[in-house]
Amino acid sequence: MRRAVAAAALAAALAAPASTSAGGGITVFAAASLTGVFPKIAALPRYSFAGSDQLAFQLRQGAPADVYAAASPKYPELLCRDGLVRKPAVFATNRLVVIVPRRNPARIGSVYDLRRSGVKLVIGDAGVPVGSYTRQILDTLGITNDVLKNVVSQETDVKGIVAKVALGEADAGFVYATDTKPVLRKVKPVALPAWAQPPIRYEIAVVSSTKRATAARAFVTKVLSRRGRALLAQAGFGLPKRK
Amino acid sequence: MTRLAAAAAGLALVAAVVFLALPVAALFLRISPGDLVDALRSEVFRDALLVSLKTSAIAHAAVLLVGTPAAYVLARRRFRGRGLVLTLFELPLVLPPAVAGVALLATFGRYQLLGGSLNALGIQVGLTQTAVVLAVAFVESPFYVRGAVAAFEAVDANLLDAARTLGASPPRVFARVALPLAAGGLGAASTLALARGLGEFGATIVFAGSLQRVTQTLPLAIYAEFEQDFDVALAIGALFAVFGVAILLALKLVPAWTRSLSISASRPAASTSS
Repeated sequence: MRRAVAAAALAAALAAPASTSAGGGITVFAAASLTGVFPKIAALPRYSFAGSDQLAFQLRQGAPADVYAAASPKYPELLCRDGLVRKPAVFATNRLVVIVPRRNPARIGSVYDLRRSGVKLVIGDAGVPVGSYTRQILDTLGITNDVLKNVVSQETDVKGIVAKVALGEADAGFVYATDTKPVLRKVKPVALPAWAQPPIRYEIAVVSSTKRATAARAFVTKVLSRRGRALLAQAGFGLPKRK
Repeated sequence: MTRLAAAAAGLALVAAVVFLALPVAALFLRISPGDLVDALRSEVFRDALLVSLKTSAIAHAAVLLVGTPAAYVLARRRFRGRGLVLTLFELPLVLPPAVAGVALLATFGRYQLLGGSLNALGIQVGLTQTAVVLAVAFVESPFYVRGAVAAFEAVDANLLDAARTLGASPPRVFARVALPLAAGGLGAASTLALARGLGEFGATIVFAGSLQRVTQTLPLAIYAEFEQDFDVALAIGALFAVFGVAILLALKLVPAWTRSLSISASRPAASTSS
């Protein structure tokens, strides 16, 4: 009997943190490139910004999120196929740019300068959307081998790329056009040829296992709303046609 | 009442053991031996192992080379600011590794404290293998120095003084008397520091970035792979667990070995003083 009481007390003590973390707003898993704009669209949810692939992996492991927003259709569609998220909707588009530090130590004027030996380039890991888009555009431009030999670091999300270029540690990095705005004092964007741009579509979906489906749907509606679109456009995102 | 307390304490022990043992066991249970072997054959793993071994070996050699005499001075001499220096050696222990990475970047980064001068010499540290070595040395050095200071302090000062009065020069006293007597403690400190260095993650990813074959150490490979290929992440984890057990066993065995060593080494000194 006493043993049972002690066990119950211990169980209660162990369970306490879990019960206090419940309640409150919804949790949104969002691509790192949405770090600036999502809190402007809705301030209340708890956000976890990381590489879309990492977030997808966490969702597969049962992480308690209510909404998932990714920088590519790949992971939302795969998760939807497996029943882990509801039907995704496209809510924004983006473009790739090359950023260089303000003082441009390697004198990069165009993407073709990235072929020069000695240029220190940072790109995304192949698994993270920005990394796979980067490989796509290099392939389209036909300069994959010459440019990839200059890579000095493969980052797991776009924030890591921006940071390393903004600090001046790297000579150049491939990021989304929307990532340049907050760091324009430190980096300079170098445009990429429009004809080579891969289609970059952001998709958002409600997580199937959510216990706050109404609030989760409301958040998605907010992102897709006129105001959400205006804020996304202001942050430099492209917008899909309204349905 | 005492029975209740004993039961609660026993239960707490069981809970703690399960909490620690279960995840370690899971490393081995979640992956079949065949998959484990396959993962250990993967290129990502081999490349990361080579990067880890190379950078750790260089960093560890530097830490031993500089840390051993430094610790000897700290153990033998009492000087103003000694406490401050000892505290400084404890700082990396309590700093989050990511802070160490940011601090190293702020020091050796291309446009930072020393980076400008290094850059003028054509040396760039950030995002290179040198950065990995510096990060590993920075985080592991306090583990070694603290242990080494304690090991030298445990050496009987009378023996060192006796060697001096018998005409041995200070370097000779250090090399022939202090070093052998402190060998056990130095070995233990060295092993712990090496383990800490091999596991280094936060400072490395901030300061050195992550690139296969260049800067991607084993812990960085776990992070890069866990959402792509969970098996490789598990396999590296299992390897670290085996390595950890080996280190702890070695540390348990070292004291016995040292005791016999220090007794035999103190005999001649004792006989000369009588």
